[in-house]
Amino acid sequence: MKLDWCQSILPVTIMGAECCWLYALLMLLNKQVVDGRLSVPWFLLVYPLAFIFNTLLPKQQWSKVKLYAANGLAWAIGMLLMVKTQLYSGLGLFEPGWLLAFSQALSRILQTVQPEVILLVGSIVLWWLGWRLARLRITFVTSVTEFQFGVIVLLIIFASTAQLGIQFASSVPMAMVFFLFALGGIAIAHTQGGVSWLTGSGQGFWLGLLFAGIGLILLLALLIGSIITPDFFQLILIPLKWIGGVIAKGFELLMQVIDYLMSLFGEPEPAELPPGMTIPAPPPSEPDIPMRLIPESVRNGLRLGWYILMVGGILYALWSISSQIFGWLRRRLAAAGGAEFEPLPGAFKADLLVLLRLIMNKLRGLRLLLWWRRKPEPILSETASVRQIYRQFLRWAARSGWPRHLSQTPHEYLQTLEALLPVAQGELRFITEQYVSVRYSPALPTDEELHRLRQSWHQVKRNRLKGPDSEIVRQ
Amino acid sequence: MDKREARIEVSQIKEAADRLIENIGRVIVGKKEVLELVLVALLCEGHLLIEDIPGIGKTMLARATARSLGCSFKRIQFTPDLLPSDVTGIHYFNQKTSEFQFRPGPIIANIVLADEINRATPRTQSCLLECMQERQITVDEETIPLPRPFLVIATQNPIELEGTFPLPEAQLDRFLLRVKLGYPSEDEEAAILTRFRQENPLDNLPSVIEADELLELQKQCRQVYIEDSVGSYVTAITRATREHQGIELGASPRASLSLYLASQALAAIRGRNYVIPDDVKYLAVPTLAHRLIAKTEARLRGGSLDGIVGDIVSAVPVPVEGTAHSIDKV
Repeated sequence: MKLDWCQSILPVTIMGAECCWLYALLMLLNKQVVDGRLSVPWFLLVYPLAFIFNTLLPKQQWSKVKLYAANGLAWAIGMLLMVKTQLYSGLGLFEPGWLLAFSQALSRILQTVQPEVILLVGSIVLWWLGWRLARLRITFVTSVTEFQFGVIVLLIIFASTAQLGIQFASSVPMAMVFFLFALGGIAIAHTQGGVSWLTGSGQGFWLGLLFAGIGLILLLALLIGSIITPDFFQLILIPLKWIGGVIAKGFELLMQVIDYLMSLFGEPEPAELPPGMTIPAPPPSEPDIPMRLIPESVRNGLRLGWYILMVGGILYALWSISSQIFGWLRRRLAAAGGAEFEPLPGAFKADLLVLLRLIMNKLRGLRLLLWWRRKPEPILSETASVRQIYRQFLRWAARSGWPRHLSQTPHEYLQTLEALLPVAQGELRFITEQYVSVRYSPALPTDEELHRLRQSWHQVKRNRLKGPDSEIVRQ
Repeated sequence: MDKREARIEVSQIKEAADRLIENIGRVIVGKKEVLELVLVALLCEGHLLIEDIPGIGKTMLARATARSLGCSFKRIQFTPDLLPSDVTGIHYFNQKTSEFQFRPGPIIANIVLADEINRATPRTQSCLLECMQERQITVDEETIPLPRPFLVIATQNPIELEGTFPLPEAQLDRFLLRVKLGYPSEDEEAAILTRFRQENPLDNLPSVIEADELLELQKQCRQVYIEDSVGSYVTAITRATREHQGIELGASPRASLSLYLASQALAAIRGRNYVIPDDVKYLAVPTLAHRLIAKTEARLRGGSLDGIVGDIVSAVPVPVEGTAHSIDKV
C-alpha cells in the first residue's frame, strides 16, 4: 500500500466517521427541536465543501487575514444557500423576503430554537471541522482519538433517543458506517507508520489471510443464516414443547394421586363435650408483684465497671493493632534492605514495662518529695541494664538498615557492624562482649563496666551506620 | 542453675589445652582448629572419627594425641579378616594352671587407635558398639569394664570404597566428632618437609597430660555453665535436622547430648566458663553431619551433609536479645 495514497484516504475516513455522529446529532435536533424541517444529509454537505475549499486554497501564498476572510465569505455564502434551499425554497433567490425572515428568526433566538439557528450554528461547526481537517496532519493517534470521541458522542445520542422515545431508523447502518470509517482509518494510519503487517515482505500473505478470514466469516454467516430459519426454530421447538407437555401431564397426574390419597382420610369432626361437663373458668390472675429495682449505688458501680472494661478492651485492641502495624512496617523495611527480619517478640512489652516502672518510680519519688522523705532513686539490676542497652543497640542498627539476622550470633553481628563503622570498633566490641558475658554467663557486670558500657553506647549511637545502598558497603 | 552459683574456674583446662595443642603441634603442622576438636573429644571422653584421604596425617594425628596423653595406648589395624575376639580378647585354656584365662584384646586400653576402621567386616565393627557406648566388653558372659578414660580414635578413608564396609549408623552415632584434616597450605607443607627431614618428631613426643589429670579436666568441663536458652538452641538445631527435607535420618538425642557436652568443652578450651551460641554453631557440623543420612534426591543434587547442617544452622534462630525465649527472663 502506497503511503501517499494513505495520506489522501485518511481525511476521508476521518470525515466519514465524523459525518456519522454529526448526522446522528443533527437528526436528533431535527426531530426533537424543529419537527424534521431540515434535510440533514444535504446540510452535511457543508463539511466536505469546507474541506475541499480549504484544501484548494493556496495557503502558502495567502496571508492569514486573507485566508480567514475567504473562509468567512465562503461559509456565509454556503450557510445562506442552505437556509434558502432548506427553509425558503419557495421564494426566489434574490427576493429579500427570506433574508428578512431569516434575520427575524435569528432575533428570536432567546425565545425559541428556530431551524435557522440550527443551520447557522451547525454550518459554523461544519465549516470549522472542514477547515480543521484540511490543516490536520492525521496520524494513528488522531484516528484513535476520533474513534473514541465518536463512540462517546454516538452513545450519548443513542441514549438520548431511547430516553426521548425517538425512532431512529438508520441508527444501525449509520453505526456500522461509523465503525467502518473509524476502524479503517485507524488501520490505514497504522499502516502509514510502517509498522503494520499490511506493509513489508509479508504484505501479500497477510492481506490474503485477512481476506480469506473475512470470506470464511461471511461464508459461515451465510451458512448459519441459511440453517437457522424460523422453520428450523420451529423444528427445535416441537420436541421441546412435547417434552414440556409430558412433564406437565406427569405433574398433573401426581397431583391427582395426592388428592386421592388425601380423600381417603376424612376431616376430623369437632368433638362434643360429654353431658354434665362445663367449660372450666380461666384461673384467676395472680396479683402483680412490684419489681425490685437495683439500687442506684450498685448501678453506678456496675456502670463504672462496664466503662473500665470497655476502655480496657479498646486500649488492648489499640495496642494489638499498633503492634501489628509496627511489626508489618519493620518487616517491610527489613525486606527492602534485603535482610531477614527479626520479629523481636516481647521486646516492645519489655520496654513498655520498663517505662511504666520508671514512671512509677518517678511518681513515688514525687510523693516522697512532697512528704519530705527523699529516698535514693531505685536502679535497674545490672543484667537488665546491659540487656536493655543491647536491645537499644540492636534497634539503632536495625533503623540504619542493618538488622541482625535471626541466625546471627552477637559476635557474627559484631563483625558486620565493625566493617560498617570502623571508627567505633572498640565501643562496638565492648558492648557486644558485655552483652554476651551477661547474657550467657553466670557473671554480673561491675559498676565500672556498666558505666563504661553506657559511655560506649552513647558514643556509638552518635554515629550513623552506612546504609545498605552506600557505595562503600557495596564494595 | 543459679548464675551466682555457677562460677567455675576454667583456667586449668585452658592451660592444659594449650599444653596439649602445642605438643601435638610438634607433629601436626598447623590445623589448630582440628587439634581443638580433638581436645574437645578428649574432654568429653567422646570418640573421634578422623576421616580424610590417604597421606593427610590421620594416623599421625591419632598417634600424636595418644602419645601426648600419659595413658595406655593400643593400636588395632582393621582388616577384613579381623575377628571380634581379636579386638576384645579371648578366654584360653592354660595348661599349666588347668584353667581358662582371659587374654585381653587391644581394646582394653585408655586410647585405642582403630586404624582404617571401615576395612573390617560389620561383625568386627559391631564389637565396638558396646565398648564405645557403655565402656565395657562382654566376653563369654563375663563383663569387663574398660579403663578410664577410654577413647577410640578411628580413621577411615572415604574415597577408597573397594574392600571396605561402611560403618553402620549405630556406630557412627557413637562417635562424638568427625574431623577432617584437609590438605595443608603451601607454608604448612614446607614446614612438614623441614620438620620430618631428619627424624619423626613423633618418636620423641612426650606426654603432657596424665590420665588422672584428664579425668579431672573432664569433670571440670561438665561444670561449664550453659544458659537455658543456649541449651534450647542445641535442641532446636538437632530437631531441625529431623524436619529437614533433604535428610532421611535426623540427629538422635545422643547427638543433642554430644553437641551439648562438646560445646561445654570448647568453651572451656577457649577460656570461658560459659557456652555461647558461637560454640554450638562451630561444633554443629563436626558433631552432627556424620550421624545423618541424606535423602537420595539431596545426594543426587550434590548436597553434602556438611552443607545441609550448615544450612540448618543458618536458619535456626540464635537466642539473642529480643527473641521469644530470651526476653521474658530479664
